[in-house]
Amino acid sequence: MNDMRLTERAVDSKDVKIAARKVQVFYGETHAIKDVDVDIDDKTVTAFIGPSGCGKSTFLRCINRMNDTIDVARVEGDIHLDGEDIYNPKVDPVQLRAKVGMVFQKPNPFPKSIYDNVAYGPKIHGLAKNKAELDEIVERALRRGAIWDEVKDRLQEPGTGLSGGQQQRLCIARAVATEPEVLLMDEPCSALDPIATAQVEELIDELKQNYSVVIVTHSMQQAARVSQKTAFFHLGYLVEYGETGQIFTNPKDSRTESYITGRIG
Amino acid sequence: MNETNHIQSVFDRDLEAIQAMIMKMGGLVESAIINSAKSLETKDEDLAAQVRRNDAAIDALEEQVNQEAARVLALRAPTASDLRTVLTVMKISANLERCGDYAKNLAKRTSVLVQMQPPEGAATSIRRMAREVEGMMKDALDAYIQRDAALADEVRRRDHDVDQMYNALFREFLTFMMEDPRNITSCMHLHFIAKNIERMGDHVTSIADQVIYLVTGEMPDDTRPKGDRTPYVNMEKG
Repeated sequence: MNDMRLTERAVDSKDVKIAARKVQVFYGETHAIKDVDVDIDDKTVTAFIGPSGCGKSTFLRCINRMNDTIDVARVEGDIHLDGEDIYNPKVDPVQLRAKVGMVFQKPNPFPKSIYDNVAYGPKIHGLAKNKAELDEIVERALRRGAIWDEVKDRLQEPGTGLSGGQQQRLCIARAVATEPEVLLMDEPCSALDPIATAQVEELIDELKQNYSVVIVTHSMQQAARVSQKTAFFHLGYLVEYGETGQIFTNPKDSRTESYITGRIG
Repeated sequence: MNETNHIQSVFDRDLEAIQAMIMKMGGLVESAIINSAKSLETKDEDLAAQVRRNDAAIDALEEQVNQEAARVLALRAPTASDLRTVLTVMKISANLERCGDYAKNLAKRTSVLVQMQPPEGAATSIRRMAREVEGMMKDALDAYIQRDAALADEVRRRDHDVDQMYNALFREFLTFMMEDPRNITSCMHLHFIAKNIERMGDHVTSIADQVIYLVTGEMPDDTRPKGDRTPYVNMEKG
């Protein structure tokens, strides 16, 4: 029976990439994330959904220690990447962020050429020995970002001159240039039109061959379309976490049901 | 089930409208079952003709349910219990439509049987069987509207009684036909009628299954007793 499942929806037992236990986040006095336990699988797209202010973005930012940059933010609990505690004082956040890439809501290319946007990360992390190698990395990243064909003849033009959808794919190419293992995406399509959204979603599906992708989205249809696992956050709690098909056809928690069916919960 | 309303109230109205169509269909099919069996027993050809005419309204409603369900799927992208509501109305409307067809077929055979001398008491037994199925259908639809999985489960179990009635009639008709070959034509018609009512029971059971799926998100395990023993009749008699 299981053999008949649509392959792209199949959730096989994958390795756990990120394991979070009893994670708490405080912004000053505000308790933003409460007791979150979650295992995020490798080579899988995991969607975080929930109403505004539920903590999904905050939790996402814990995974590459982006909350370190906020003075009043305090993170407790354990988050392990491949079994290693990422909040260990010995871990360099800059190195961590090379392994755990991030794509933001609004495309934010550097005010530099298309080439330099992608080459920047590999350069500072010393991933290329010479110009030829760097060229190769840039081309590979732009191909993975599904934008190579559109920009290969104008690599020296500014990245900011591209359309919104192209800029976002450039940012994804930039994020994958450092060969990350995890890709965090915070509402990557909310500033894009439906066609650009479809292109980015197609790209996300391809990226999951190599990466563990975690996406925060306000569009439940997008979560349903791109993810294999879905986590529903509400008031700082992780309410329900499971296979996406199950969450959208038969959620176990009444709060999840209220949210995804568009009822006042 | 979720009792609260959608933020978009028009979504609630869409879902309510489809379910109202199902209820209307259910009402029409119930009276088709009752009236067709009554026409058989009372040899009322006018009533039989009326049942045959009314089937068009049932078919039209099924068409309408399917169109509305497709609209809701396309426009609202329902999830969770909303999705299950849409999926179940589509299946239930198909079940009801089939039952309507069986009732129409019963009414057609009534028009033939009034010209004959069917064995004494057979039409009364058939009417009792039809009444049982109609009662099950009423309860299955009540269970649907009230989201009552326990009542739906009870309906599933009652299908066994219908199967028993059919088994008894099957043997009875067999006996009549063996006794006097002149009974064969009428008994064949009566047997088809009994078989069709037995099939209606299966469709009602399927409606009850849908109610359980709607409420729990899981199809029930198939543990209900299977009552139709007629495929083995000759083997049992030896």
